[in-house]
Amino acid sequence: MDARLRRVTREIADCKNDKTSSIKIETIDESPFHLKGSFPGPEGTPYQGGNFEIDIVIPESYPFQPVKMKFITKVYHPNVSSASGAICLDILKDAWSPVLTLKSTLISLQSLLCSPEPNDPQDAEVAKHYMTSKASFEETATYWTHIYAGGPGSKDAKQLNSGDDVAIAGLEHTHVDRFVELGFPKAKVVDALRRLNYRGNNIRNIPDDRVIEELLK
Amino acid sequence: MSSDYEFSDDDGDYYDDGDMMDTQEDEDDDEMMGSYDDFKITPKGKHKSYEVEYESLSQDAVEQLMSADVEHICGIFGVDRDAALLLLRSMSWNKERLIEKYMDNATSVLCAAGIQVPEPTPETSRPHSTTARRSTRSTNKFLGLSSASKPKSPTPPAATSPKSFVCPICFDDSPDLTTRALVCEHQFCTGCWATYICSKIRDEGEHAIRCMAEGCHIIAPDTFVRTVLSSEDGDPEENALALSRFHELVVRHFVASNASLKYCPYPGCTNTVSCPSASSKSSLILMVPTVSCGARGIGGQSVSASQVLEKGGGLGIQAKEHKFCFGCPIDGDHRPLICTVARMWIKKCRDDSETANWIKSNTKECTNCLSTIEKNGGCNHMTCKKCKHEFCWVCMGPWSEHGTQWYSCNRYDEKAGIDARDAQSRSRASLERYLHYYNRWANHEQSAKLSIDLYAKTEKKMEDMQVTSALTWIEVQFMKKAVEEVDKCRMTLKWTYAMAYYLAKGNEKDLFEDNQRDLEKAVEDLSELLESPIEPETIPQLRQKVTDKTVYVQNRNEIVLEDTANGFLEGRWKWNAVVEGFDEPERLEY
Repeated sequence: MDARLRRVTREIADCKNDKTSSIKIETIDESPFHLKGSFPGPEGTPYQGGNFEIDIVIPESYPFQPVKMKFITKVYHPNVSSASGAICLDILKDAWSPVLTLKSTLISLQSLLCSPEPNDPQDAEVAKHYMTSKASFEETATYWTHIYAGGPGSKDAKQLNSGDDVAIAGLEHTHVDRFVELGFPKAKVVDALRRLNYRGNNIRNIPDDRVIEELLK
Repeated sequence: MSSDYEFSDDDGDYYDDGDMMDTQEDEDDDEMMGSYDDFKITPKGKHKSYEVEYESLSQDAVEQLMSADVEHICGIFGVDRDAALLLLRSMSWNKERLIEKYMDNATSVLCAAGIQVPEPTPETSRPHSTTARRSTRSTNKFLGLSSASKPKSPTPPAATSPKSFVCPICFDDSPDLTTRALVCEHQFCTGCWATYICSKIRDEGEHAIRCMAEGCHIIAPDTFVRTVLSSEDGDPEENALALSRFHELVVRHFVASNASLKYCPYPGCTNTVSCPSASSKSSLILMVPTVSCGARGIGGQSVSASQVLEKGGGLGIQAKEHKFCFGCPIDGDHRPLICTVARMWIKKCRDDSETANWIKSNTKECTNCLSTIEKNGGCNHMTCKKCKHEFCWVCMGPWSEHGTQWYSCNRYDEKAGIDARDAQSRSRASLERYLHYYNRWANHEQSAKLSIDLYAKTEKKMEDMQVTSALTWIEVQFMKKAVEEVDKCRMTLKWTYAMAYYLAKGNEKDLFEDNQRDLEKAVEDLSELLESPIEPETIPQLRQKVTDKTVYVQNRNEIVLEDTANGFLEGRWKWNAVVEGFDEPERLEY
């Protein structure tokens, strides 16, 4: 039997048999080389309570070349692209080792959620948000977990309707409303404030003129 | 300046076929056939001022140089060849730095080079993976090894077969499974090792192959790689390819780390050129280090220059000499222009030429405010968006003069119109100037590309001549020589246009352009002769003419190259743009 197939089959079986682990791997179609992994968000983080799904593609030369993984579930995290789900993690690139398995890689992703590395970001805007105001970042991350990963969400988040684009962007309603009152469309204001990282202490550094300028672009 | 014929008459006396063949061979000897064992270049006669001294080395010769370094390190540190090789590779072959660091702290150098397992430090593994990943690191074999002791050579790569072993990679647990490990003692089955090493070498082009265990920094030494790839695991053909690629990668790393060596950039060629005189950046503003690795042809069937001469072939792309610039990545010969300026030119061409051409053919400038305007429809009555000036697109004169003759212009000679067109052309001068040089540069480039056809045609002609006249094979070689010369001179001409574009106005530039013009005229004359039809009765005259002209062209080319090269050495050339390594131009004027 093909060594790659033998290994992948064994890995999937091992994962199924392991009742204690919260990591799940399942097939999407007949191919054993395109899989879906999932794990619960780690406790004590904004991702708690959510269920995160991962798209797994096993390359031809696996396990000698790293497996390709990306988030299917939208995640608000500095090392995960908020648009595409692409992940910045060393073991998925040059630090890959053939002894790593799908399961251990998924565990690494889970622990990546515990310990963001904003200095090596995949999503620069999210990383900026994290650096400026961790509290506000966590609120947004919780909100994303709530609406995209089925998490419980924080008290604040529960009060909001799901799909609130101001909260998704990690902004405050009062700030957005202030510029909307000036006659700018809401979507545009959200976009501009997100680009400028109009959050927490950073607001002091951004004069209203700068925001208007960005809005008029 | 003397006319062509005077010149060739002077030369005609000593120039005959015998001489011609001799000179050619001498040149080949000089340029290509250096002694391979000797790294240091021994002066071989006087070089022309536009030539650099260099030597071509085969992969074997470079491996010998590497060996010398390795032996040196073996001797000093008392380590084996594998360790010395890894040490040198980890320090980019900088022996001095290696010796200094090794004397300072041998253990840390050995660990950094992936030869020795570092002593375990309080857990500092990557934060991503702290929680749940279990460590696969086994007991440390070199724990407590004193820094003075000699690092032990890796576990003999002989495969062992322990009882009840499951390979952690392929999950194979058959009892006859054989395993291997590096000094770190991470055991894996031999099949996985072979696939892994093959994949690292062939897919990633990696010569530093780490142990497969997670987070292990031990690097597989040469002997290990060789043993694995020559064992019976995996496809023997793939393994052999990977092994030769591995040797090449190590050689390439050595060459890339050494400023006075450069790998031949031609595809499939494995030669190296050594050119110590062009190894520093400052030397590159004084000369153009055009070198050749000595091989010819493209792809796997590279042949040495001597083989080409023996076969008597040597025309066309198959026999193209591997000429390249030692100082920059431009392929081919960019003499007489130095690398920095040649790169400036190439960049400018890439960025500007199409845009400039488009602007030139599709736009005009408003005669009042000089805004560039594209007319994309409508009538000839233009109103400038910016300054509201109204003018006629055809004659460029103010529209007011057109009176009631809307939509047509028959006033081309009106004074105002002429003035307006003059102003227009002045504002276009710099664009025109650039295109003047660019078009000539591109023209020669195009001609050089077409030379492949010319080669084929000439070969045909040479055959015809042997049939229709009594000339022998050796006697028709003058045609081949002429074609080669034309090709060579076109390269020179091409770059003289790039150079002229950047040269500051002055007597020096005038002289340069005089030389350029003479060469260009001579080359065009010779090209014409080569294209002329062959009549059996005029072959002797044609032969005389072509031979004379070839010598003349050769001389003109020498003059351009030599004068320019001397100019660089004397610091005679001044630029109209800022060039790294030169004084700023006094004023930016064309």
